[in-house]
Amino acid sequence: MASSFGSINTALTSLYAQRRGLDVAGQNIANATTEGYTRQRVDMQAQVGSTVGVRWATTDGLGTGVAVTDVQRLRDQYLENRGRTEHANSAYLSNQAAAYTSLEDVFAEPSSTALQAQMHDMWAAWGDVGDEPTSVAARSALLQQSSVVAEGLNSAYGSLDSQWSANASQLTKYASEINTAAGTIAQLNDSIVKAKATGVVVNELEDRRDLAVMKLSELIGATASVRSDGSMDVYVGNALLVNRTTTRPMTATAGVSTLDAQRDYNADPTNGTRSAGLTWSDTGDTVQAGGTMGSMVDTMTTILPGMAEKLDKVAKTLVDTVNAATTSAYKTDGTAGTEFFTGDFSTGRYARNITVAITNPKDVAISAKNETNPDGTPKLDVNGNPIGTNDGSLATSLAGTATRVGSPDLVYQDMIADLGVNAQTSTRRSEIQVNVTAQVDAAREAESGVNLDEEMTNLLTYQRGYEAASRVLTTIDSMLDQLINRTGLVGR
Amino acid sequence: MANRVTESSIHTRVLANLQRNIQRGEKIQEQLSSGKQINRPSDSPNGTLQSMQLRGETRANNQYVRSADDGLGWLSTLDGTLTSASTLVQRARSLTLQGLNAGSNSAESRNALATEIDQIKSSMIGYANTTYLDRPVFGGTTTQAKAFDADGQFIGNQDGVIRTIGPNSQVRVDADGVGAFGDGSTSVFKVLEDISTALRSNDMDGLNAGLEGLETAGNNLKNTLSEVGARYNRVTQMKQSAEDRLLDVTAQLSDVEDVDLPKTIMDMQLQQTSYQAALAASAKVIQPSLIDFLR
Repeated sequence: MASSFGSINTALTSLYAQRRGLDVAGQNIANATTEGYTRQRVDMQAQVGSTVGVRWATTDGLGTGVAVTDVQRLRDQYLENRGRTEHANSAYLSNQAAAYTSLEDVFAEPSSTALQAQMHDMWAAWGDVGDEPTSVAARSALLQQSSVVAEGLNSAYGSLDSQWSANASQLTKYASEINTAAGTIAQLNDSIVKAKATGVVVNELEDRRDLAVMKLSELIGATASVRSDGSMDVYVGNALLVNRTTTRPMTATAGVSTLDAQRDYNADPTNGTRSAGLTWSDTGDTVQAGGTMGSMVDTMTTILPGMAEKLDKVAKTLVDTVNAATTSAYKTDGTAGTEFFTGDFSTGRYARNITVAITNPKDVAISAKNETNPDGTPKLDVNGNPIGTNDGSLATSLAGTATRVGSPDLVYQDMIADLGVNAQTSTRRSEIQVNVTAQVDAAREAESGVNLDEEMTNLLTYQRGYEAASRVLTTIDSMLDQLINRTGLVGR
Repeated sequence: MANRVTESSIHTRVLANLQRNIQRGEKIQEQLSSGKQINRPSDSPNGTLQSMQLRGETRANNQYVRSADDGLGWLSTLDGTLTSASTLVQRARSLTLQGLNAGSNSAESRNALATEIDQIKSSMIGYANTTYLDRPVFGGTTTQAKAFDADGQFIGNQDGVIRTIGPNSQVRVDADGVGAFGDGSTSVFKVLEDISTALRSNDMDGLNAGLEGLETAGNNLKNTLSEVGARYNRVTQMKQSAEDRLLDVTAQLSDVEDVDLPKTIMDMQLQQTSYQAALAASAKVIQPSLIDFLR
């Protein structure tokens, strides 16, 4: 038989538990819109009386109330891991799409003013010179149009170059952000492990840690796993970024620092330089990054150098085609033609360095032959110099370059079509991935987000529970009142 | 806890859907405001390629039209010159006949005939040195100002002046000076000079030979003239076809690049309606919770 006052304690435990429930519901409602907050739930457990059978024990086996055993944090680790992966993929793809979009902006095709149109104008100018070899105006126009094309190529290459540099400096900033965030996670690990060891509930700290890891996932594709002591290890690729309370710093400045240097490295990986990208500061190994930074590294090592390569091919074809014509041609005064385009092409950087070599309109060589004697020997003037002609056939032939096999125009069109396909693919993939990510986010929010209806219901339940427990207390009180004050007064 | 729904999961989904909706709207707005359905290569890589090639074709055809116009200038100059030269040869022929028929004419009248023949010769040299845009039209590609010197010697060259007036279509727009006027001893100038000499010396055999020479020279001019006429026709036709092609290409370019206005406006209306509906629905769905009903 339980003690007379046992039931008071039972009611008290209920009051405590309902209060705790109300507190937690209040906390949930307060944080309904807090980013990264995980709803909490009070785990209540009926307290049992002594279950150990002891001789002379007076227990009746009835429970002795309720106890709050835990305040649970309702977050699904599987969904969380999935969320990290999807966020990393989404960040990677949207950065790729953005990189391609800005490449499209560089070339701004199709338009009647972009590089292709400029090249068409240049070929038309060659045609005009071919029609009127004597016209200085047509020749000057040709030099102008050709300069426009050369400068168009220069500035397109310059844009690629500055896009590369912008990526490089952004990557450096991100790397220090990663190092800071890793430090924060290590600190949180420390606090959480210590608190858990002493039995303190650290749900809010864990929320903050999850939020920080999600940010790392988006930035660098980090994954995480929780240890049994509550600390969380963060991986980038297969390497540990945060191991309990220690972190491993990375750097973005160990590799080459310009687009041209990256292209040199791509052409010969044994040339003594390092590819641009992220490296672990301690071992110097490459960081297998994903997410935004992974995409930036891919942009810097593959996309931009590839684009620069193609642009150089366009410029090289242009230089070769035009120079082959003008160097085999003669000027109007009969002297041999010279190169039309020039520049420092020793390192293959055609697009960066192409310029128009000719400044005097008369020096554009376009005639296929000088005056010849009937026997085929060159006709010479009184001073023994060859005599030129007003033939413009080489210019006329150059004017038809645009549609010829292997022309710079076709090479350029190939490049733009490739760019278009890649941009379209990456944009579509990014759109799909954003949807997938949104679905997973919604699922995560459904699992760990606060539902106000539910919280209101809980509030109601706990309030009623509190009221009921008070009623139990009152009931017992009046029982005891009956027993103490009004019992045994026979004859008084 | 399957199918649990929370305020924030609704929020996430609604926001994602609204975002998608408004992105679609942005694309349509971009197309409408630019008037182009291809604004960047990724809108349609294939369309971009076509558009670039069609623009190239537009410029090429413009070039053909310009070259054809220039060619027509050359050819009509040739046509006029050769017609006048032929008339002159006719005149020389009748003068020569006059000289032959009136063999007993006085020296004065023969001298007068010879003087007129000399005039004709120098006019003929003038015609042979006709220029178009400062280039002698019978001088081939010579850089000199004249095709024939004062004595009627050919000093130009016989390389053609070529105009490209269509894909793989090239036309010679000058005339071979040697073919039209002859060179050296067979040239029309030499024939006229011989006639003049024969007239002055009353050399009947020389006049007869001169008559034959004029016959040949006249035929040469006529042959050249008919060839020039044929080429003029060809250039006119090619110019017309380049202009027609230009219209076709412009239409094709518009098909590839430009927006289908009614369709795009319909799309925009649809998108706006669905966006407004989504907004209204979201506003209604998000607001109420149990709090509104617990009193």
